[in-house]
Amino acid sequence: MKKAIRSVSVWMLALVFTAGIAFQPSAMAANEGMVTTQQLLSQQQHSENLAKVNAFMSQEKVQQMLTERGVNVEDAKTRIAGLSGAELEQLSLQIDELPAGQGALGFLLFLLVFFMLLDIAGVTDIFPGV
Amino acid sequence: MRFNWSARQRALLLLLFALLQACVATPQTDALLQGDDGTPVVQPRIYLSSTVFYPQSQYQCGPAALATVLTESGVLVEPDELVSQVYLPERQGSLQVEMLATSRRYGRIALPLGGQLTDLMQELEQGRPVLVMQNLGLKSLPQWHYAVAVGYDLANEEILLRSGTVETLRTPMTVFERTWARADHWSVVLLEPGTLPVNSTAQQYFTALASFEQINEDTSEPAWKAGLERWPESELLAMGYSNLLYRKGRLAVAAEILELLLQRNPDYQPARNNLQQIRQQLDEPTAN
Repeated sequence: MKKAIRSVSVWMLALVFTAGIAFQPSAMAANEGMVTTQQLLSQQQHSENLAKVNAFMSQEKVQQMLTERGVNVEDAKTRIAGLSGAELEQLSLQIDELPAGQGALGFLLFLLVFFMLLDIAGVTDIFPGV
Repeated sequence: MRFNWSARQRALLLLLFALLQACVATPQTDALLQGDDGTPVVQPRIYLSSTVFYPQSQYQCGPAALATVLTESGVLVEPDELVSQVYLPERQGSLQVEMLATSRRYGRIALPLGGQLTDLMQELEQGRPVLVMQNLGLKSLPQWHYAVAVGYDLANEEILLRSGTVETLRTPMTVFERTWARADHWSVVLLEPGTLPVNSTAQQYFTALASFEQINEDTSEPAWKAGLERWPESELLAMGYSNLLYRKGRLAVAAEILELLLQRNPDYQPARNNLQQIRQQLDEPTAN
C-alpha cells in the first residue's frame, strides 16, 4: 500500500514539474519579457502579507503559544518565508479575522466581571466568596 | 439600605475600572487634543456641509455611503444602483473589497488611508469626504457600519458623519475613535485620476493605482504622472508609468522614465530589464 502511495506521489511530482516547464515559456512570451505592473503589484502585496504575518509571529503571546506547542519560532518564520503568494494571503486573511476570536476572550472576561459586580450588589450569588 | 463596601469589594471595583479604562483608551484623540509632538496641525473645525445625503434603507449603509463619496468625487450615482454591486443580502451588509472594487468600476481610485485621525482630517481640509467603517458593537459581537466623515470640531471634540438615516451625526471623537479602531481604522478616499491624497506613501498609492488600472487603463495616465511627480524617487511608480506608456506604444518616453530611475538606482533590476526590452524594440544598440 505504502509503495502504491509512493509511486502515485512520484507521478504527481513528475506531473507538477512537467506542467511547470510547459507553462513557463508561454507565460514569458505573453508579456514579451517585460516586468509588468501587475507582477510588481502582486510582489508588493506579497511582501505586505509577509510583513503582516511576521509581525503577528513576533507577538510575545503568539510565540509563547507556539513554544507551548513545541514549535520553534525561527523554524516557523523560515517556513513562512517559503510560502506561496496564495498561501500567504490565506494566512494573512486569517490573522485579520483573529481579532474577533481575541474579542471573544475579552467578552468572556467582561461577563465574568459583570457577574462579580452583580454579586457585590446582591443581585446574584454566583461567587459566594466575594 | 446601606452600602458597606469591604476592602475586597473596593479592590474589585478598582480592578473593574482599570479594565474598563484599558478597553476604552483613545490614544489618537488624546494626542490630537493635547497637541502632542509630531501630531500634524489641522484647522480647528471643518464641515463639508454641501456633501450630498442619501439616507440608507434597511441594513444598506454600504451602498448609501459609497454613493455619497462617489457623488462627491464627481460620479453621479444613486445608492439603488449600487445595491446589486456591493450588497450581500444573506450577510445583510457589504464587504470592504467590494466597496473598493465598485469604486474602481466607476472610474475612481480607491485609496485606503493610513489609519490616523489626522489623516482623515487632512483629507477633510482638502474638501474630500472620507468613507469609514465602524464596528458599533463589540469585538466579539460586531455590528459593522459604513459612514462618511464630512467634518470635525476640535473644540467640541466631535466628528461629523453622514450616517445611516442621520444627515449630520455629531459623534464624540472618543466614541468615533473606539468604533473606528474596532474596524481596524478602515478609511478610504476616492480619487479622480490625477488628484493626490494629502497623506500617503508611494507604495500605498501604487497599490491603489495598479489595482485601478486593471480595469481603467484608458484613464490611468494622469494618475501615474501626478504620482511620479509627487514621489519622483519611487521605483514602483516609475515602472508603472513607463509600462503604461510602453503599452500605448510611446516607447521613447517609456525608456526615458526608466533611464531617470536608473540614474537614481542603477541596481534596480526590473527597470534594467524593461529598458533593455524597449531599446531592442527601438532598434537601438543596447548599452546595458
